[in-house]
Amino acid sequence: MLTAVKNQLRVCLLSIKYNMMREMVNKVAFLTNVAFMVLNNASILVQWFILFRLRDDVGGYTFREILFLWGLIAASFGLSHILFARVFSLSELIIGGKLDAYLVQPKNVLASVMTSATDVSAIGDFMYGIVLVCVCKPGVRVFFLFLLFTVTGAIVFTAFALLLGSLSFWFVRMDMFSNQLILGMVSFGTYPDGIFRGVSRFFLYFVMPVGMAVWHPVHVMTNFDAGMLFTVFGYVSVLSVTAAAVFYRGIRRYASGNLMEARM
Amino acid sequence: MQAITVENLSKTFRVKRKEKGMYGSIKAIVHPQTEEIRAVNGVSFSVEEGEMLAFIGPNGAGKSTTIKMLTGILYPDGGKAEVMGIDPTKKRRQLAYLIGTVFGQKEQLWTHLTPYDNFRFFGAIYDLSERETERRIGELAERFGLGNFIDTPVRNLSLGQRIRCEIVASLIHKPKVLFLDEPTIGLDPVVKENVRELIKEMNKEEQTTIFLTSHDVGDIEKLCRRIIIVNDGRIVMDDSVEHLKHHYPVKEAAQANEDSFASLEEIIVEIYKSEESS
Repeated sequence: MLTAVKNQLRVCLLSIKYNMMREMVNKVAFLTNVAFMVLNNASILVQWFILFRLRDDVGGYTFREILFLWGLIAASFGLSHILFARVFSLSELIIGGKLDAYLVQPKNVLASVMTSATDVSAIGDFMYGIVLVCVCKPGVRVFFLFLLFTVTGAIVFTAFALLLGSLSFWFVRMDMFSNQLILGMVSFGTYPDGIFRGVSRFFLYFVMPVGMAVWHPVHVMTNFDAGMLFTVFGYVSVLSVTAAAVFYRGIRRYASGNLMEARM
Repeated sequence: MQAITVENLSKTFRVKRKEKGMYGSIKAIVHPQTEEIRAVNGVSFSVEEGEMLAFIGPNGAGKSTTIKMLTGILYPDGGKAEVMGIDPTKKRRQLAYLIGTVFGQKEQLWTHLTPYDNFRFFGAIYDLSERETERRIGELAERFGLGNFIDTPVRNLSLGQRIRCEIVASLIHKPKVLFLDEPTIGLDPVVKENVRELIKEMNKEEQTTIFLTSHDVGDIEKLCRRIIIVNDGRIVMDDSVEHLKHHYPVKEAAQANEDSFASLEEIIVEIYKSEESS
């Protein structure tokens, strides 16, 4: 059992390494991708800076908490796209019948698919998130919590994308729906939760998991609450197990395909 | 011992139907229609260990679907299949250690890596130690003549070189059964001949069972003793290549040829045609 896990891990790490090597073939494109992602993220924060010159708090958040929010969502989104970028295009693989190569390997098909691509610009997101939180001088405990929630946030992003992508086993054109929800998650996640009430708040906690990916974690970082911390852990576990179960249920319906293709 | 046993294997696909034009597209959203297509319909056969079998048929006959069910890619709707005594639907991963696959139309190799790096990756996938992987790469590189391009990125290789590398990647773990789905598609005659020789040699030396689908009669004649012809998801013929060549009553071909025996290609075309008309 332990050997099998070790071997699986070895293959996943090799796969991530090869993905990185592929992305780094063009060094200029690699570096500009990373740099522009950092600049792109930073430019939006200027708006918040101006807003907080006019008001002390927005939706119950101070400027420092907004920085935590941005740092966390950027780092979580970045981490999930560095390690598991393929999950975000899972619909395309399912609809195009491109899972064959993973299914004939003696490895966990989900782990192999998930680690089969990386998004190089996500390195910029990840670095930006870390730098942003460091700027706030968070202290050791908060920084540790930030790293922990970066991991749980990345799992939420990945599991949510996996869940949505796996629906393509049943419904075609789920890719557009899936992309919109993921992008929506990022957009809503950069605003304080205090501005959302009623149905929209319910939606952002229970349908689109923004609440558990960023808002709850930021509350725990600024005002530690063990109950909230374990709620996040519980939610992450349930979402991950559900997403994996839906994927494995769906794989029985996989129809493959005969398109000419190459593993790029 | 049987390498492959298949009993009443079936697979049905549900395919969406859409009327022509924009009206058809809108109608398909409001009132979607589907049609069931039986790709494989109660197929039964067995393959001996070490045998080289040609599994052929016209496009859409169910060849690739059958291979995909035998390799654990697709789940059958009915029937039973065992490869080296393993049910692909229940123990896919265990089976993967014993089989190799080459899909001529789909690449398994990473194009930005060299064949050498790809083989090392495949070695890790099959849990081979570094030493064993190196030994196997050396052995196969020599046999398949990869020496000149083993360190060239796959995207810069010719099609023939790539196919050779695909075959080597699928053999890195010494599979007992090799599934070849149109392995010589798009290759020139010299490279085709070369690939066939290598497959033949490997079957002889490692006793690998070969399950081949191909539209190229040359592949079948040069490699296989037995031939199974499928059409519309059913087996329409299961015979030895020699017997088929000498005993199949070909009308058109016999008239056209002065030879007493028609060529295998002519026989196959005639079988396809008679199936189509019936």
